[in-house]
Amino acid sequence: MIAIQDNPRGITSAQVVVGIPSFNEAQTIAVPTMQADKGLSRHFSGRSAVIINCDNHSPDGTRRVFMETPTNSPKIYISTPEGVTGKGNNLRNLFERAVALKAQAVIVIDADLASITPQWIHSLGSPLFDKSEFVTPLYVRHKYDRLVNNSVAYPLTRALYGRRVRQPVGGEFGFSGRLAQSFLEAEGWNDAVANFGIDIWMTTIAMRSRAQIIQSFVGKPKIHRARAQESSASPVFENVVETVFQLMCRYEEFWKDVKWSRPTAVFGFGAELEVPPPIKLDTQRLWDRFASGVPSLWALYAQVIQPATLGKLAEVAELPREHFEFPTALWAKVLYDFARAYKNEVAPRADLISALGPLYDGKTLSFVIETEHMNTQQVEEIIEDQCIQFEKAKPYLLERWFGR
Amino acid sequence: MAKILVVDDEEGIRILYSMELHDEGYEVVTLPDGTGLIETLDKEQPDCVVLDIKMREYNGLDLLQEIRKKYYDMPVILNSAYSSFKVDLKAVAADYYVVKSSDLRELKDKLKVALEARIPRG
Repeated sequence: MIAIQDNPRGITSAQVVVGIPSFNEAQTIAVPTMQADKGLSRHFSGRSAVIINCDNHSPDGTRRVFMETPTNSPKIYISTPEGVTGKGNNLRNLFERAVALKAQAVIVIDADLASITPQWIHSLGSPLFDKSEFVTPLYVRHKYDRLVNNSVAYPLTRALYGRRVRQPVGGEFGFSGRLAQSFLEAEGWNDAVANFGIDIWMTTIAMRSRAQIIQSFVGKPKIHRARAQESSASPVFENVVETVFQLMCRYEEFWKDVKWSRPTAVFGFGAELEVPPPIKLDTQRLWDRFASGVPSLWALYAQVIQPATLGKLAEVAELPREHFEFPTALWAKVLYDFARAYKNEVAPRADLISALGPLYDGKTLSFVIETEHMNTQQVEEIIEDQCIQFEKAKPYLLERWFGR
Repeated sequence: MAKILVVDDEEGIRILYSMELHDEGYEVVTLPDGTGLIETLDKEQPDCVVLDIKMREYNGLDLLQEIRKKYYDMPVILNSAYSSFKVDLKAVAADYYVVKSSDLRELKDKLKVALEARIPRG
């Protein structure tokens, strides 16, 4: 899959690899590249290191900006063939290169990260030289940033696989060379994983392989380029949901025996004084998509959702906007029913994921209404409560999935 | 019978928890602070630790990180008179956080869940 590579210093091995996946990030990639270089110099000076930009053949000059950014660490540029895009494809190239370099620690950072500091490299990489094999960041995100994480990825993977990883689709990771090899060997690579499903795919495989996971405090909130990503119209939603459902089918023998959830260890401490910039959501659009989408898809919902749960959903669908609320216990059961329908192919799988969209928009709207006047800590408590409700609803999933 | 290690610098709490948890069917061992905590874990191999946060010379949040280094999967319930430490990132490594109360129902409920929690070892 690596069609282009530029390795001016002829690097053939490195203990630490920092990977920066990109597609058209010429405007932003210099910042994470320079901060990664400072982090490597400051915290890994005794180890060989390289910074790799794994790109999608960006036409905007990402390669030139990356290679011309002054650094002490050597740099390598690799790219998918022209026309092949997807974050997952970039990271697959990174896994291959990291294994070839015999890397002990691989750190991944987003190319549009504006708030990254050298500390992030330390926080994501250092635990890998102790006992940890997979590192995810602990940072504050705006309460409406990457909502698919709060409503789907975090509560669902926590209830399924039993490990509380707050940012399973965070975009930043650290993992061991051994785990990079496991990612390369893992089955189930598909279009969703090759795109935005890659983050939850990696996290789930780390959980499934019983890698020791640690969450690491990076010291600053995540600030990155705002994207229109919070409605079901975003490919992020479809890729994440498809990947979660696909992995549920693959790993059912594992998650059926998981009960409740356990924490991870934590690395690095301090106070996070900054707050991320606000994100505005178009709540009218969310409402419109829910209100128009649900009636048109009701016949399909009746095939997918268990009758008692469908009755509760009918109640929610009749609520006027001023009293709108989508209870989390119901949302959990709806997701579990859709996962079962995906497994049994009650309808074409792409249609099922698409049909879940208006319901996700409704749940997102409900979350926005509930948390509108809440601060970060209050929202975290709401999300924790949501997770517990997903865990409590798991017997429903077991009964529906396995017919227990 | 599950074994619970209670770490608390208040003797009254240690006595109360010992009695109440014993009545629930647990075996209870206690420590007055963090002195010898890891050695006690090695020796007693408890099924769960109930850990106070503000102790005279010890901070339960720091002790929790020490426990996680050696016993990654040891269930630990933070148990404090203060709710304010709940927002401390170090508390993320705990299974649950229970604010002290004369009514021990929440602590007993969380103990039950922490002991039931299961991730297959393979």
